[in-house]
Amino acid sequence: MELLLEKIRDRIKVNFDLKDSKFNMNERRIDLYIDKKSISSILFYLKEQMGFKHLMHASVVDWLEEGELEVIFLLWAPKEKISVFVKTRLDRENAKMDNLDMIWPQLNTYEREFKEMYGIEFEGLEAPDEFILEDWDGPPPMRRDFDTAAFAKDVYSERTGREDAKDVRETIAKRSGEEIPDFAKKYSR
Amino acid sequence: MKREKATTLYFGPQHPGITGNMMVRLKVEGDTIVHARTEVGYLHRAFEKLAERRNWIQTFTLMCRFCVPEPDPVEASYARAVEKVAGIEIPERAKWIRVLVLELARISSLMLWHAGQGHSLGLYTMGQWSVGDRNYILDLFEELTGGRIYHMYIWPGGVRKDFPEGFGDKVLHTMDYIEKRLDEYNDLMFNNSIFQKRTQGVGYISQEKVIERGVVGQPLRACGIKSDIRIDDPYEAYDKIKFNVPTQTGGDIWARALVRKEEIRESISIIRQVIENIPKGDVYTKLPNPQKWTIPKGDAFARTESVRGEVGMYVASDGGNKPRRVHFRGAAYVHAITLLEDVLVGANIADVSAIMNSLGTCPPEIER
Repeated sequence: MELLLEKIRDRIKVNFDLKDSKFNMNERRIDLYIDKKSISSILFYLKEQMGFKHLMHASVVDWLEEGELEVIFLLWAPKEKISVFVKTRLDRENAKMDNLDMIWPQLNTYEREFKEMYGIEFEGLEAPDEFILEDWDGPPPMRRDFDTAAFAKDVYSERTGREDAKDVRETIAKRSGEEIPDFAKKYSR
Repeated sequence: MKREKATTLYFGPQHPGITGNMMVRLKVEGDTIVHARTEVGYLHRAFEKLAERRNWIQTFTLMCRFCVPEPDPVEASYARAVEKVAGIEIPERAKWIRVLVLELARISSLMLWHAGQGHSLGLYTMGQWSVGDRNYILDLFEELTGGRIYHMYIWPGGVRKDFPEGFGDKVLHTMDYIEKRLDEYNDLMFNNSIFQKRTQGVGYISQEKVIERGVVGQPLRACGIKSDIRIDDPYEAYDKIKFNVPTQTGGDIWARALVRKEEIRESISIIRQVIENIPKGDVYTKLPNPQKWTIPKGDAFARTESVRGEVGMYVASDGGNKPRRVHFRGAAYVHAITLLEDVLVGANIADVSAIMNSLGTCPPEIER
């Protein structure tokens, strides 16, 4: 197993600019850290030359503190039964990378979602329609610095009957002229 | 001036033939579809965003809500992904119980599919029978987990509790009943000439296309490809259980229906093997206080074979007590968008609902 993973790592290293790699023998998995410029050629190479035919998943993780978005492609080689996690990092302020849906057509859906939710620009992506968000002109909502509470306060109004008190128990008690029990008072805002 | 021949038809989001809150915008010429575009956005509940603000165990309670017809594979994927990142080994008995729950969920979901596929072609009795019989499975879930639809039972570390007294016998009794009913389902649906005529040669997908599109589950197996995560990348106790992976070569709705029909029998066989061979022992590994439980920095992906095909959960930890990222991949993410848009072109508008049901389109899996 280790030999097989090393062989994959070495072949990638010879042909591409590999930043780092990590093995996980229990999971039969190898992580490849690469520059975004090489992403399309590496994915194409892994699919066509190394047997990683199946795109299991693709994801984005927002590393806000480091100012970067990590894009991950999870591939599976059905014959060798091993997985590879291809990871690349994008600058949060200038999140751009190549469109990759010519390699796996289903990546088109992922890219549409990442564009809306994380603000990643996929150069060459043909997706004129909105995906999940409708008429959205705010910041990408899945980024970690998107303040959901502030957004909700700004867009939606308080439900009628709650203007006088934030806590519904207080409102109900006031209406019916009752006292809030002591044990509940400590939970009231 | 050239006249536009095509008419735009909005199929959904509120439509008796649709599989949930989504819409397919169709362009039709006469009764033939010339273009299809899936539109989602009616159901987004930001579960993945919520997960980033809740601790690892609070997040677990959100997971089953991704998909109503079959919530267990989602929570099983989350539990295994968390266990992988945290390095938790679960007891052997818990692995067998998870198999039992996943297979019961499989049968329950396949019975709902009988209803959906039957309804889409006007066979309403099928749904009344299968949804009625499904209640016996829900009774088992209620006794085991406390919930009929959402179970929140397969959690990181194992399962919440062991079998109640006499549970194994009840499961076997229910399986005997369902097995007998399958012959009656066969007469009602599969031997029905309307069902045969409306499904044979309809919604065809070629083997090349399923491979190119990354299709999983029955649509893949109905094209003659023997692929099942339970065998290809076994998890829990599946490597200790013998079962077949049914396949067909037709690639149409009929072939997908035949695959599903056989899969119920395989699930019944798996459940009987679990009851016969389940080892004794603990059902969970004790975890730290959920409020203080931190998981080392890292990430993992866990896949589970659901009724709709392979589903998976990607989990990333930054070393804290909340997930940095939880990202679910459902089979419908491919089946209901790029694949459906492709398959519908050239189809008759009367077949849209039947095609959607046969592909296992589940909108909450897309929006999450």
